[in-house]
Amino acid sequence: MSSFATAGTWKSARDWRLYAGLAAALCVALLSSLLFGYRIYTPADLWQAATAFDGSEAHIVIRDHRLPRAIIAPICGAALGVAGVIMQTLARNRIASPDTLGVNAGASLAVVAASALLGVDSIAGLSLASATGALLTSLLVFAIASTAGGLSPLRIVLVGVTIAGLFHALVEVVLTVREAELDQLLFWLSGAFVDRPLVLATGGSLFVAAGLLMAVFLVRPLDIMQTDDATARTLGAPLGLVRAGCIVCVSLLTGAAVAMAGPVAFVGLVVPHAARRLVGLNHGAQIAAAALCGALYATVADVIARFVIYPLEAPVGAVTAVVGGVLLIVLLRRRAA
Amino acid sequence: MSAGSHLAKSDHVTRPRETLAWGIVAVLAALAVVIVILGIALGSTWLAPEKVVAVLLGSGERKDQLIVLQLRTPRVAIAVLSGGAIAVAGYLLQKVTRNSLASPGVLGVLDGAALGVIIFLAVFSNESNALVIPIQWQPVAALIGAVLAIAAVFILSGNQASSAIRLLMFGIAVAAVAKAATMILMLVGPIYRTTQAARWIAGSVNEINWTEVSIVFASVVPLLLLVLAISRHLRPADLDEVSVRGIGLNLPVFRIFVFFLAAALTAVAVCFVGAVGFVGLMAPHMARMLVGRAVVPAVIASFLLGAIMLTGADLIVRALFAPTEVPAGTVTAVVGTPYFLYLLMRKEKTSG
Amino acid sequence: MDSMAQRVSVEDLTIAYGEHKAVSEVSLAIPTGKVTILAGPNGCGKSTLLRSIRRIHAAHSGRVLLDGIDIARLKERDLARAIGLLAQSPSAPEDMTVAELVRLGRYPHQSMLQPWSSADADAVAEAMFGTGVSHLADRRLGTLSGGQLQRVWIAMVLAQETDVICLDEPVNHLDMAHQIECLDLVSRLNLERHRTVIVVLHDLNLAARYADRLVFMKDGAIVAEGAPEALMTEDMIGTVFGIRCQIINDPVHDRPMCIPIRNSSPRFATGG
Repeated sequence: MSSFATAGTWKSARDWRLYAGLAAALCVALLSSLLFGYRIYTPADLWQAATAFDGSEAHIVIRDHRLPRAIIAPICGAALGVAGVIMQTLARNRIASPDTLGVNAGASLAVVAASALLGVDSIAGLSLASATGALLTSLLVFAIASTAGGLSPLRIVLVGVTIAGLFHALVEVVLTVREAELDQLLFWLSGAFVDRPLVLATGGSLFVAAGLLMAVFLVRPLDIMQTDDATARTLGAPLGLVRAGCIVCVSLLTGAAVAMAGPVAFVGLVVPHAARRLVGLNHGAQIAAAALCGALYATVADVIARFVIYPLEAPVGAVTAVVGGVLLIVLLRRRAA
Repeated sequence: MSAGSHLAKSDHVTRPRETLAWGIVAVLAALAVVIVILGIALGSTWLAPEKVVAVLLGSGERKDQLIVLQLRTPRVAIAVLSGGAIAVAGYLLQKVTRNSLASPGVLGVLDGAALGVIIFLAVFSNESNALVIPIQWQPVAALIGAVLAIAAVFILSGNQASSAIRLLMFGIAVAAVAKAATMILMLVGPIYRTTQAARWIAGSVNEINWTEVSIVFASVVPLLLLVLAISRHLRPADLDEVSVRGIGLNLPVFRIFVFFLAAALTAVAVCFVGAVGFVGLMAPHMARMLVGRAVVPAVIASFLLGAIMLTGADLIVRALFAPTEVPAGTVTAVVGTPYFLYLLMRKEKTSG
Repeated sequence: MDSMAQRVSVEDLTIAYGEHKAVSEVSLAIPTGKVTILAGPNGCGKSTLLRSIRRIHAAHSGRVLLDGIDIARLKERDLARAIGLLAQSPSAPEDMTVAELVRLGRYPHQSMLQPWSSADADAVAEAMFGTGVSHLADRRLGTLSGGQLQRVWIAMVLAQETDVICLDEPVNHLDMAHQIECLDLVSRLNLERHRTVIVVLHDLNLAARYADRLVFMKDGAIVAEGAPEALMTEDMIGTVFGIRCQIINDPVHDRPMCIPIRNSSPRFATGG
């Protein structure tokens, strides 16, 4: 029987092998994240830190520095990957990313404003500011895009990109006028998994979980939304409602990721392309693959960031951009014409 | 990104006729002239606009002539040329890829130029962080970076260059790598270099002399004439409309040529003013919404809007923030976006 | 017998865009299990009427009835299972495979808890077999010819398993061979699977050839409806389309055929 008899269920043997492979790679990456860095530890150290914690430098580093990163990186990566899939289908544009909604820009603006105007400087405070900025921005984009003309992919993209540009500009202005903070905020503004307290992960993960749950409900309508509006409507998809749902879902996922790690570039743009290449256009498979690929991607980038300009930490956004750029080129070149 | 049967949308949507389009272009031209005059009038001393006009028309007092022609006009001129050139580049890209997110920034040219600048600053600084060769060479570094980036995009894409979306994605990849390298160099370098580079990346209109302006003029004008010459081959379709049978050239070679034009315009434009990318994204959209689908009015409107946005931004920056040098590029978004959002909110609902 | 013969009927329907009435007070009974073709000059409202039957447009006044029930009161899902529509310029990503597109047609029959069943697989297989695209299952849409692509879209609508199928100008951009192929397919679906088919067509002669019931529209109203033989008269076509013509009998298909008369033709210089 042809493939289409079983396709649509993603339980065929080939798919299980793929997901298992990705999950295994993720485990290896997580292990590397715990072991490698400014100092390299052994699995024995790891085991002892977990079972017989004795306050030594190695154990403290593992528990207080490596562990949070190893948890936050994959969660952010998964969230951004899934948000990217939804965003590219919502926008009907393969170069869209969560930032196309302006969410990253809003988060950056909120952080800069909180720091410059309100003097907030605690990680928790900045994190809260960025989450608030992210969610308010997506509300704003939604509100403006829903006015005369209706919520169409083109309008969502145009409004999102406009607001993103506006907010990025405001961030630049504030940073230029207050030059002293440039260096310190520059590191944060390009996204980092380092020096994040574990407590951030608990709140963030909740929102990511909520976003992923929403994504599961959006899977079927998203498949339909790949066609034009008229066709989607004749199949019975409630377009306006689904689009609103997509915006909420993307802002939950991206807002959480930004609150945990700042705006990490490129993940939401590249991961959907990799996911599509691996599993095709069925959104159920795409989202699962994107979550795994995103988690893997972010974790690997986080490990590489420790070694690129050793002993300094490179901003992980720079590493995701380089790795992603190369990955994208490879993906594109291997595609049969 | 679509397959299937393609027909033009039904005629329920009203579109401005060509005469109306040219009327709007005339309004934009008038607005551009006003902003240029204001831009020249503003400086360390405020020069009355009438005096500015007098000097530009040939008469006027000698001391005014000196200020206007030697000191101020070059700056405004470069803003007009660069802003306009980048806007036209953005228009070409959006037309040929039919993608509303296409802009010069996505081609890799801007980030390549930025990398060129930061390498220039890194290589030619001594231990005390002063430049050992004149800063006038910076634009050359930007140009070289831009050219190498374009070359990389085309070489990497190989025979996939004829697919618009593919070329965009290669551009994004190259841009990402260049941007990452720039970020790392900025982080590793001393603070002087960081701020200098950040300023360039944001885009700023600096003091400039007539020689440099005439170089840009001599490069931009032939390119613009080329654009107008080929514009009748660009399809007048809307961005969210897919018309396989539409008029216009669909040859891969033509598409690659248009990409080259856009890249060349961008490279020349950013040499002296830095990476004012947002203008290249926004101005074409605004032009489309104001002027409609006709190509030639839209090209001219894009140029005018780009010029207005950059010159206007520079004006605001000098008026509000002097003596702090806020890069004009950052403010272009503030100038354009509120009006663009207004346009978006006002758009007529198109029929289902 | 009467209610079976007309599952779909339109009553006094008016569709307006702002001030302009695209469809004014139209009443029409669609015969079940037959091919009904809507024809008329540009802007006569035929596409709008078709889309309104599938509730793409909300009625300004009047109603569309399905089995006696006003479709405005039906749930979206139920309506999507009863009436299918192939839009005028459908689009889908170029790298979507044929199988993926046809599967989308099953959306109204699926739910969160039941994403895919054997009934779905059967419907998809049947639809692809009926339109002759089974061998194209794993091909990407961007690699198909115009004719193949249109058949795939029809397969998608077919997979929806609706009793009523609406097609909005399905052959406009196809070349002659594919136009015939497509309409033959539609005709076969009607005969073999007893679907009620409503088509909007531009080409008058194709309309006359394939219709069981022909409907002429002009300026948002129905001018005439009935068998093609009854409507294809020189006077009627002059009224509706504003052209002079001569009607002959198509000897191959035994249907009326319209020959439009050129203004400068010497044989008909005095007109009449």
